[in-house]
Amino acid sequence: MEKQSGKPRVGLFATCLVDLSRPQVGFAALRLLEDAGCSVEVPLDQTCCGQPAFNSGATGQAAELARQLIRQFEPFDHVVVPSGSCAAMIKVHYVEALADDPAWLPRAEALAAKTWELMSFLVDVRGYRPTGLVLETTATYHDSCSGLRELGISRQPRDLLAAVEGLELRPLPGNDVCCGFGGTFCVKYAAISNAIVGEKAAAVEATGARLLLGGDLGCLMNTAGKLSREGSSVRAMHAAEVIAGMGKGPAIGEEG
Amino acid sequence: MQAAGSSFKSRAGAALADATLKSAIDRTAGNAETKRAAAVGEFPQFDEARKLGRRIKDHVIVHLEHYLIEFERNALRSGAKVHWARTSEEASRIVVEICRSAGAKRVTRSKSMLGEEIGLPHALEAAGIERVETDLAEHIVQLAGETPSHIVWPAMHKTREQVASLFNEKHASPPASESIPDLVHSARQDLRQKFLTADVGISGANFLIADTGAVCTVTNEGNAELTTTPPRIHIVTAGIEKLVPSIDHAFALLRLLVRSATGGDFTQYTTFHCGPKRPGDADGPEEFHIVLVDNGRTRMLAEGLAAMLRCIRCGACMNHCVVYRQIGGHAYGATYPGPMGSVLTPAIDGLANSRDLPNACTLNGKCAEVCPVEIPLPTLLRGWRDRSWKEGLEPLTVRTGIGIWAYFARHPFFYRLATAVAVHWMRLFRKGGWIAWMPLAGGWTQHRDFPAPQRATFIAAYKAMRKGAPNDNGT
Amino acid sequence: MTTAREQILQAVRDASGRGEHTADSVEQILRESEMLLDGIDICRPALRLIDIVDSFMARVSGPKVGASIDRIASLSQLPTAVARYLAANAKPAAITLQPTSPLLGLDWVAAGVTPVRDRDDGVVVGLARWGIAETGSIVVHSAPDMPILHNFLCSTHIVAVPTQRILRHLEDYAEAARIAGDPAPRNACLITGASGTTDIEGSLVKGAHGPRELCVILVDGVVQV
Ligand code: SF4
Repeated sequence: MEKQSGKPRVGLFATCLVDLSRPQVGFAALRLLEDAGCSVEVPLDQTCCGQPAFNSGATGQAAELARQLIRQFEPFDHVVVPSGSCAAMIKVHYVEALADDPAWLPRAEALAAKTWELMSFLVDVRGYRPTGLVLETTATYHDSCSGLRELGISRQPRDLLAAVEGLELRPLPGNDVCCGFGGTFCVKYAAISNAIVGEKAAAVEATGARLLLGGDLGCLMNTAGKLSREGSSVRAMHAAEVIAGMGKGPAIGEEG
Repeated sequence: MQAAGSSFKSRAGAALADATLKSAIDRTAGNAETKRAAAVGEFPQFDEARKLGRRIKDHVIVHLEHYLIEFERNALRSGAKVHWARTSEEASRIVVEICRSAGAKRVTRSKSMLGEEIGLPHALEAAGIERVETDLAEHIVQLAGETPSHIVWPAMHKTREQVASLFNEKHASPPASESIPDLVHSARQDLRQKFLTADVGISGANFLIADTGAVCTVTNEGNAELTTTPPRIHIVTAGIEKLVPSIDHAFALLRLLVRSATGGDFTQYTTFHCGPKRPGDADGPEEFHIVLVDNGRTRMLAEGLAAMLRCIRCGACMNHCVVYRQIGGHAYGATYPGPMGSVLTPAIDGLANSRDLPNACTLNGKCAEVCPVEIPLPTLLRGWRDRSWKEGLEPLTVRTGIGIWAYFARHPFFYRLATAVAVHWMRLFRKGGWIAWMPLAGGWTQHRDFPAPQRATFIAAYKAMRKGAPNDNGT
Repeated sequence: MTTAREQILQAVRDASGRGEHTADSVEQILRESEMLLDGIDICRPALRLIDIVDSFMARVSGPKVGASIDRIASLSQLPTAVARYLAANAKPAAITLQPTSPLLGLDWVAAGVTPVRDRDDGVVVGLARWGIAETGSIVVHSAPDMPILHNFLCSTHIVAVPTQRILRHLEDYAEAARIAGDPAPRNACLITGASGTTDIEGSLVKGAHGPRELCVILVDGVVQV
């Protein structure tokens, strides 16, 4: 039926972090995708893309999770993920995790070809541009590493944010420098991670912006958590929330 | 090299606590980062040049046997003596033997990371031969009784103030002031006579030129030529991956190396050394030895690390590495620090001794982005993690943690239950929207606050919404 | 007992999963290696100026090389040019000459310069074989009349280079050197500025071990090198 309506069928993979700690990002993605003319479905048995296992060297376990996610999402025209690193896991690394599995490799390749990070899907695939958005504040944008380097995402979120009236986007010096999150790295090597995110938080603070935006919840939680610990008043949100018109809602670490 | 028993984490911890170290690293690496960006910006052909650099190195690696034989033949023709060493011990032994049989008392050495890799400084000392490091940074490191902390700037960890007090203590005529020019002048005075009175000069090689048998060294100080010209004997130690087909190929790589290392366009002194002194020559060594060193390289070739043999030792990956920038080179506890070192060290020293190195990385990809020969460093680092996992080297806590989590992730029904419980449990510890402490999350909450989860998971809230509870989006 | 050499070569062979190279494949490797450089022009910097001599001069005196540059009509004017440089930089007019006949044959005394024996940290005047516009390098080859140490023990390094021998790119030097003679020289040294170091805090200081300053003098007309 949806096919007949000409709407692409999109499977939303919310990511385990969004599922667990910030559902609002998932709802923002939902709203944006629908607004961009997609028919969106959320497979209810989705869990995690397997990145923590993959990056810990547990390739076998990552491969099992990859097979599960492929099975769940291969019926869709597109798979959209509100996270650069989880999208890159599916788009770039599933074929590595399943390299030794000739039965699954083609399926991994097929899924990779139709998997998108949210901002890049909205701009590059849908040519989407939000309208009627107003948010009077100053913000700065941190480019998360996976999205930036593995998927080439840099312009898209900025294009979308430019449509928000009243939002002043200030450049962040070192916007492409890692925040020190690195998935399990941030707890395995907590002291090093802390030193890195300390510099990131200071750079964010120095912009004088009131809001930190980004496209990856992990990096945002890391930096926002550091800012909070340091007593900063800078707030943090996923860029999708602002673009979906939820920018006036509670930021990360604020009670809703 | 490091105090026995000290772990990566304890060394990193000590480095993190050292504010002087941090400012020393930032001064030099920050400078290097800025200059490299400018040099690459002025070289619009950089991307094409990188692809070529990578193709040249790959070509040589694929045909390594041919190039080794070709190089050896031409080097022998030039009058050089060629030695082969399988291991670091064998390489050091060969060098020490040459020095001994020449009755050498003093050797000068021009910076070579391979020399460090094979433990040459130690081997020379053990043999009772006076070793004079001539690269300014190596000179500093030698006076301080330390090891290099960076492959291009071995004394990156030292501030000018620290160098000044070192020179005051160790130089016969101390520097006039703490200014950097005065410090450089002091070292110049100290080293000048030593250059001229050495019996053997030892250098590394930036490239081995197969079609002539020449050895290319590059320096900005000119110490390679001063090290290798006056003594009676010149010994080159070089890894077998240093080969290039011809001087033209070396030039293509030099364009990348210099810009990536220092942000210059070309080194001040780029020299091709080909054999011993010729009849009638005004100067030059009477004997010219080349020691070709394997030390794990053929194993890397066989075990899927061929891409790492492309490395031209420019140091860009470490200058741009967030971890290196925080902990400096010594914390890695190995000859080669930073991203490239974290790939090389497990291959040279064994993974069991170094499993922390490939793990202590956020896989942010900046190193690969700047690498002038497109080495996929994060992929190779992850490769070591994979191996460490398979060989059972990962700590039990990590294995258990990942195991439990993966079990739930593979069973969506239990996963939903577990996440619902987790959300409720975590919310018990919140103050306002943040969690400042919670059991089992010390790695995070020791340094950062953790945002308390919203009331329900996304999936739960989505289900509820679909059941006709509009606007309950879980916030 | 196999030697280290055989073991290493065998390990390389095993890793590549191939047999020994045959004459045929050697030909093929050579062709491949040459083909790599086919499109070199898109992989190297273009000269900033149309004229290669202008480019060379701009490079030598530019910030990256940071040397002085002068240009004279013929080699006979070299002593005057050297005297001028020394006077302008308040240096004593005593120089050590590279022992090569084109330089030894010039009238230095008339220009007010005294040739002296090699002196530590003095002024050295030499004659380079080539100049390279791309990098602003000058090239010296070791020879009976070119002691390599000359170029490194001085404090002021003055080098004359024939204008006719300015080449465009580094590869053009490789080609010119190949044509000039087989075998390769014992020491071929591309000099691109004075001796410098950034080893302390990354800040540049000239005169690390070798020359503190470099002066390049282009010589028009015919010069025998
Ligand atoms: S890995 Fe790449 S960036 Fe790092 S030192 Fe080697 S060549 Fe340079």
